[in-house]
Amino acid sequence: MYSQTNWLGEFFKHSLLLAGAIVVLLPFYLMLSYSFKSPSEIEANKGGFFGTQEIMTDNRCIKAGNPEEECLMRPIVYNYTAAFKEAPLVRYMLNGIFVTVSIFVIQVIIALPCAYALSKLRFWGRNVVFGMVIFCLLIPVHAIALPLYIMLAKVGLTNTYAALIIPWTISVFGIFLMRQFFMTVPDDLIDAARMDGMGEFSIVWQVMLPTAIPALLAFGIFSVVAHWNDYYWPRIVVTGNKDLMTPPLGLRMFKSDMDGNEYGPMMAATTVIVLPLVIIFLLAQRRFIEGITMTGMK
Amino acid sequence: MGQSKIHYWFVGPAIFLMLLLLIAPVFVAAGLSMTNYSLGNSGFDWIGLENYEKLFSRRSYAKMFTASLTYVLLVVPISVALGLGAALLISSLKIGGELYKAVFFLPVMATLLAMAIVWEFALNPIVGVVNDILRSGCDKDMIYAFFTGSWYGNNALESWYGSSCEKKFPIWLGDKKYALGTIAFIGIWQAFGFNMVLYLAGLTSVPRELYQAAHMDGADSAWERFKLVTWPMLGPTHVFVITISSIRSFQVFDTVEALTQGGPSKSTYVMVYAMFEKGVKQNLLGIGSAITIVFLIFVLILTLIQVYFVNRRVHY
Repeated sequence: MYSQTNWLGEFFKHSLLLAGAIVVLLPFYLMLSYSFKSPSEIEANKGGFFGTQEIMTDNRCIKAGNPEEECLMRPIVYNYTAAFKEAPLVRYMLNGIFVTVSIFVIQVIIALPCAYALSKLRFWGRNVVFGMVIFCLLIPVHAIALPLYIMLAKVGLTNTYAALIIPWTISVFGIFLMRQFFMTVPDDLIDAARMDGMGEFSIVWQVMLPTAIPALLAFGIFSVVAHWNDYYWPRIVVTGNKDLMTPPLGLRMFKSDMDGNEYGPMMAATTVIVLPLVIIFLLAQRRFIEGITMTGMK
Repeated sequence: MGQSKIHYWFVGPAIFLMLLLLIAPVFVAAGLSMTNYSLGNSGFDWIGLENYEKLFSRRSYAKMFTASLTYVLLVVPISVALGLGAALLISSLKIGGELYKAVFFLPVMATLLAMAIVWEFALNPIVGVVNDILRSGCDKDMIYAFFTGSWYGNNALESWYGSSCEKKFPIWLGDKKYALGTIAFIGIWQAFGFNMVLYLAGLTSVPRELYQAAHMDGADSAWERFKLVTWPMLGPTHVFVITISSIRSFQVFDTVEALTQGGPSKSTYVMVYAMFEKGVKQNLLGIGSAITIVFLIFVLILTLIQVYFVNRRVHY
C-alpha cells in the first residue's frame, strides 16, 4: 500500500531522531570524556573526547610531601585513582548491592505466598485482603517518607542498614503483579502437586516460584533499578555515616566535599556508579524495557 | 482447602507490613500535621489546623505550590509530546528503530542524581559546554541569523539569542528566571524515553486494518491517518501516560536537592523538597507532615483520575 520507500521522508525522520539522540547522549558523552581529561583540558574544553593524556602532576600528592617524580601520571589514571581514594566508592557499591538485593529477596519472600493465597486459596476475608492491596497501591511510598522516618527514628533505627531496607520490604505492586500472573496458572498443576503429597509451602516455593520466573525477572529489574538509583530515601535516613551510603548518596557527598574544580575525579566516580546498570541494560535491553514499563506504575 | 489455616502464614506477613509501613504512616502524618512536634522533644502541643493555615497563607508556601505546579505543567506536556513524537517516528522507520529506542531509554535507567551532576557541569556558565556551544554560534552568520530571526526581518538584538550574544548567556541554575525551567529540562530529558516506550506499546495494539479502512475512506495523508486512527486509538495510552508522568514529576526531588536546594529565591522549592527541608533538615515535623498530607491528596486525585478513565476504557 505504502510500500514505496519515501527516501526523503526517511532521511527527514532520521535527522530528527538523530538530533534528539545527540541531546540525550550529551551528558553521557561529557561524563566519560571529563573522566579521561586533565583539569586544564576540562576548563578550556579542549582535547576532544579522550584528551591528549599528557603527563600531569598531582598537586595533592606533592602537598603530601612526595617527591615530584612520583606524582606524575596520566590524567585518566589520576582521575580514577583519585575517585577511589577520595571517596570509599567500593564501599558505596557494595552497600548498593547489599541493599538492593536484600530488598528484592525480602519483597519476593513476602509477596509470593501472599499472591499465591490471593489467587489460588479460598478463605474467609480474601477479598478484603485483596482490596487492601489495591488501596495500598494508591499510596506513593515516597510521599509517606516523613512519617516512616519519624517511626524509624523513634525506635532508634536511623543510620542503619535496616532503615534503608525495611520501608521497601512490602511491595504491594509485587503482590498485585504476581497475583495477576498466578491467576493464569492452571489449577490442575496445583491439584497434581497436592496429590503428590506436597504441602502448601512446598507448592509455593517448588511449583509456583519456577513458573513465575518471567514475571519475577521483570519485577526484579524494576525493583533493582529503582532502589539502586534511589536517592531520596537514603538521603533522609542516612546522615553523615559514610559506611552506610549507597552509590547516589555517596556521590552527592563527594560533590559537596569536593574542593574547587575537581571535575575529573568527580566524573570518574559518576562513571563508575552509572556504568554497571547501563552496561547490563545494553546487554538485555528488551527485558529491561519490558520490566520497567510493565511495572512502571510507580 | 479452606479448612486449613495455612493462609494465615501466607497473607499474615504482608498484611502486617502493609498496616505498619503504608497505612499507619498516613495516619501518623495526618495526626502530626496538627501538632508542633519535633524529634527529641518530650512532648508536643495540639495546634489544630494552624500548620495548614500557614501552608495556605504564607508566601514561601505559595512559592512552593507555584514551583511544583509549574514544574509539572512544563514536564508533563513536553515529555508526553516528545514521547509520542519519538514513538511515531521510530515505529515508522525502516531501519534503526531499535537503536533510537535504546538511546532514548538510557536516561530512564541511569542514576538521575549522577546525571544531574553531569548536567550541572554542562550548564556551568564559565566552563560548561552548553554556553560554549551557544556562544560559538554567535559569530557564525547563518546560525546567528537563524536563531535571532534576523533572516525573517526581526531585529537581532531584540531577540533572546541576539541579546545573549551581546551580553552573556544565562547562569542557568543560578538565575531565578531560568532555574526551574532548567530543572524541568533535566526532568524532560529523563522522562520522555519512558513515555516513548509506553506509546510504542500502545501503537502495536492499533489494528492494521483500521489504517486500510481509513485509506479506503480517502484518508491519504499521514496526518489524516494519524488524526483518524492513531490518535483516538491511543486513548487509553494517553490517560495512562499523562497520569503516570504527572505523578512522577510531582515527586521531583533528586535534581532539586543536588543542584539548587530550592533556590534561587525559592523558585525551585518543589513540594517533596519542602517536605524534606522542613521535616528532616529543620526538624519541623508538624508542618512537614501537613505538606505530606496535601501532597498525598494531590497524588490521590491524579491516581483516581487514572483509575476512573482506565476503568471506563477510554475508547472512541
